[in-house]
Amino acid sequence: MTEPREDRIVAEGVHKAFGDNEVLKGVSFTVAQGSATTIIGPSGSGKTTLLRALNALDVPDAGVIRVGEVELDFSKPVAKDQLRRYRAQSGFVFQSHNLFPHKTVLQNVTEGPIFVQKRPKEEAESDALELLRQVGLAEKRDQYPFQLSGGQQQRVGIARALALKPKVVLFDEPTSALDPELVGEVLSVIRDLAVEGWTLVIVTHEIQFARQVSDQVLFTDHGVILEKGPPADVIGNPKEERTRQFLDRILNPL
Amino acid sequence: MAVLLLAALVLTACGSSGSNGDNPVKSAGVLRVGTEGVYSPFSYHDPATGQLVGYDVDVARAVADKLGVKVEFVETPWDSIFAALEANRFDVVANEVTINSERKAKYDLSEPYSVGEGVIVTRANDNSIKTLDDLKRKVAAESATSNWADVARKAGARVETVEGFTQAIKLLNQGRVDATINDSIAVYAYLAETGDTTVKIAGNVGEKSEQGFAARKDSGLLPDLNKALDELRSDGTLASISQKYLKANASGAPESGQAQHAPRSTWQLILDSLGPLAKAAITKTVPLTVISFVIGLVIALAVALARLSSNVVLTNVARFYISVIRGTPLLVQLFIVFYAMPELGVKIDPFPAAIIAFSLNVGGYAAEIIRSAIQSIPKGQWEAAETIGMTYVGSLRRIVLPQATRVAVPPLSNTLISLVKDTSLASTILVTELLRQAQIVAAPTFEFFALYGTAAVYYWVICLVLSFGQSRIERRLERYVAR
Repeated sequence: MTEPREDRIVAEGVHKAFGDNEVLKGVSFTVAQGSATTIIGPSGSGKTTLLRALNALDVPDAGVIRVGEVELDFSKPVAKDQLRRYRAQSGFVFQSHNLFPHKTVLQNVTEGPIFVQKRPKEEAESDALELLRQVGLAEKRDQYPFQLSGGQQQRVGIARALALKPKVVLFDEPTSALDPELVGEVLSVIRDLAVEGWTLVIVTHEIQFARQVSDQVLFTDHGVILEKGPPADVIGNPKEERTRQFLDRILNPL
Repeated sequence: MAVLLLAALVLTACGSSGSNGDNPVKSAGVLRVGTEGVYSPFSYHDPATGQLVGYDVDVARAVADKLGVKVEFVETPWDSIFAALEANRFDVVANEVTINSERKAKYDLSEPYSVGEGVIVTRANDNSIKTLDDLKRKVAAESATSNWADVARKAGARVETVEGFTQAIKLLNQGRVDATINDSIAVYAYLAETGDTTVKIAGNVGEKSEQGFAARKDSGLLPDLNKALDELRSDGTLASISQKYLKANASGAPESGQAQHAPRSTWQLILDSLGPLAKAAITKTVPLTVISFVIGLVIALAVALARLSSNVVLTNVARFYISVIRGTPLLVQLFIVFYAMPELGVKIDPFPAAIIAFSLNVGGYAAEIIRSAIQSIPKGQWEAAETIGMTYVGSLRRIVLPQATRVAVPPLSNTLISLVKDTSLASTILVTELLRQAQIVAAPTFEFFALYGTAAVYYWVICLVLSFGQSRIERRLERYVAR
């Protein structure tokens, strides 16, 4: 007796321009609860901007987006506290982790729960330690970020995003800044999250990873979603010429 | 705000006038007297007791006694003494003010209470100067606003401006100037006090000098002042005060009666000065530095944030403030707060006035340091704080400022250490801080080098302590960065 899966993200006609440069030209898609969606596409196609719109790091110019329980119509002015409620629905993992260098690993993870969500310190810390165990870094709790490897830093970044118990976790090219031998440890953590039933949206260049992990793949090009569907279709049997070219260049660089 | 300051400047230039008619001193019950406090034997601190004494000081006391009012002395450097008089910091100047027609036009000048003769002082081995005519193309050291500077200039000498008579003698001793013209009384007093044989009185300028009190124009004080002086003259009080302080110059040799002035060795003098200098450092220099720095940092943070805000008005106000503070001398800023604000009806005591001026100054300089420190924090830090739900203030307080502090500490330490030494400028607005205390101790003994040297050591020690604190803070803030 499984509950009908509701959608965690519903985006309709999202537009965003930086000056004259129109980066998103009316993007619509949905993300089902407990599913993993990967966004692939050439650089400059708008995939990162799309992801940042889901957390209002870049506020769209038009379009309606619902994330979790908060729906905003960006064609109208949005009040600051509404924007904050919208943002609280999702956690964000940056390409360059952006850990707080002056805080320890544990403090990085508990900063949001204690300072923003005002949760009791002991409770926030025991939850944070559980998350650190999950990403395999419990023993690093009192180290500073500069003492960790790139892969470890990114795993702390993931724990920090999860600590706020968001409805959706957003990943912006989480392995692009890593040395190749460190990519695996981060991807396996993300795969575990997908298995556990977190709702994930991942911008990535790791095509094999996208094929294995995602329930849905979005291919973006020139500010629109050109193709979307299960990985077997979009990656395994693309309909669009642009998608085929892109995949070919990535899978056979020579 | 800068517009206000400019207005204040203009007003100061216009001067002010007292009220006619009733004697305001009598109604106030107190005679406020401006005097140098470092001009022996007219106005100086007795080395034994630290009390303000001297010929002019005692005459002012006797006059206040005759008027039946209390007396209150305000110590002011000579070159700002008339500015302070006009700013109503006191009622009269008692500091050997020579009576001349220019001063008569601007101020109420009393009958003279001391009469001397202008003399030329040269090095003992210099026989090239005997009369005023010999001063042509020579260099004379004089106070900028003294009438002796005019006399020297008219004789064709180039005038080097000094802080007072004792500095002029020092420059002469060191061979940096050829002569100084001053009142015979002051010169005899110097020779008697120090036994200095390297300088001599080479000649006189053929001009008597009469000294009296100066008050603001139309002060209404003159009739009472003159009446009191007449009575003091006829009852022999003036003569006995004169005996007390100026006897030495009458005979040209020290008298045994001046036992308390017996020359001390330089080392003894330095030793005796350690206490008073430490007291000035601890009660004035250090609090002035600390309070101004803390207030200055608060101002600086606000200005830096205004400068970084997206509000055009705020940004431009902040820019203007920084530009005015950095583009004008600190000394002028001090003078505006202390001497010009009273013209607008805002009269601030010396210590708070110094705090205001120094805080505003630190605010201007530190604002740019803090702004660049905030800007040095990567945008990703703001974004990461945003994604975990922080507000602007929360991000600033918990994420950005702690990191910016590490960047800002070295340049802010520079600002703090400069401020320690800049507080010496407060001496010009009547704050008896470290340097002023050194002047006071040095004045009756003419041992300027020894006492300025001692004061310098104190400044250096304070700065050493601060540098030590700086490296401790830096080490603490470095704990989270790779070395």
